[in-house]
Amino acid sequence: MRVLAAAVVPAALALAALALTSCNLDSGAGYVEIKAIPPSASVPLYLDQAKLEPLRNGNAVLRQKVGTVKLMTDVDGHMSLLCNVEVKKNRITSVTVSIMTRQPRCQCGRPNPAETGLNRTCIG
Amino acid sequence: MTGFASTAAARPLAVLAALSLLLLIAATPRPVLAQGERGTAPQSAAPDAATADDEFTRQLNELKKTFSDLSKKFDDSAKNIDRLNNAEAARKEIEELRAQVGELLGAVADNGIVWGLGAKALARAEQKLKSLEAETRYKPEDRQFLIERWRELKNATEGAIRELEGARKEFADLLRKLQTSEDFIDELLQIREHQRALDVIHQLTDGIRDASDKLKKLLGTIKTPGA
Repeated sequence: MRVLAAAVVPAALALAALALTSCNLDSGAGYVEIKAIPPSASVPLYLDQAKLEPLRNGNAVLRQKVGTVKLMTDVDGHMSLLCNVEVKKNRITSVTVSIMTRQPRCQCGRPNPAETGLNRTCIG
Repeated sequence: MTGFASTAAARPLAVLAALSLLLLIAATPRPVLAQGERGTAPQSAAPDAATADDEFTRQLNELKKTFSDLSKKFDDSAKNIDRLNNAEAARKEIEELRAQVGELLGAVADNGIVWGLGAKALARAEQKLKSLEAETRYKPEDRQFLIERWRELKNATEGAIRELEGARKEFADLLRKLQTSEDFIDELLQIREHQRALDVIHQLTDGIRDASDKLKKLLGTIKTPGA
């Protein structure tokens, strides 16, 4: 029994250490390009709850961690999801926010063909 | 496979050629650096001048050095891609280039370090101008001298920020082109894989047909007992 424990415990510790190391590994970053139409339009935009600075000349490029982020806006004090944006390592995902009406709309540079409906995901 | 690779390599090569040109232009010394050097005069006039301007200039210099280093890397990559005879290697080369361009884009992105320093330097110049205009301790000509120097610095900083905006747009476009080239190579690889699968199916079909023929022949030789 003691022999078994002596063999299992170090292995378990090694596995735990490996798991912790894996959690800390940086999976990299990609980029999100946001364009506003018209460029002069001003609308509060959020990427995963983080408010963005007003877009200069209707354009912004932001470095983001790899993963899927939510592009949102604030309509009458309520957060409204415009679209999901998939961020891939060293790739750029383009999103155009159309502010022609009171409710801004999201147009993906490259939409996910597998998805339909309002909650679309833009891919890079 | 040769035609395959040449088609695959042609696109990234065109992108790389354009990129090399772009980087050579970007690496050419511009007024930004000169303005950075001129910036020493007002600094001596105002010894507490923030390090934001210096840091911004330093980061810009480093970035431009990276441009020229990278320019060489792109030239080498273009030559390598030209020599590559398989799509996987071309894709790997493009993947590495994406990492390099991504790093540059990261510096000039809206939430990047150089961009942040530029915004900080501009805010400082604006704040200094505002405070100097309200300043009453100095002689009018001295105050005017300081205001003019800071105005020059502010204009130079705005010019540098415009350059960064241009660089950001170009890097973003380039990254998009590189990823499109890589996706195209991926499509070609998928076609090749599909072709391989089809070849295997053809071989299997031939084998089955062959076995079927042999079976038919065998059946033909079998005679009913007593016939």
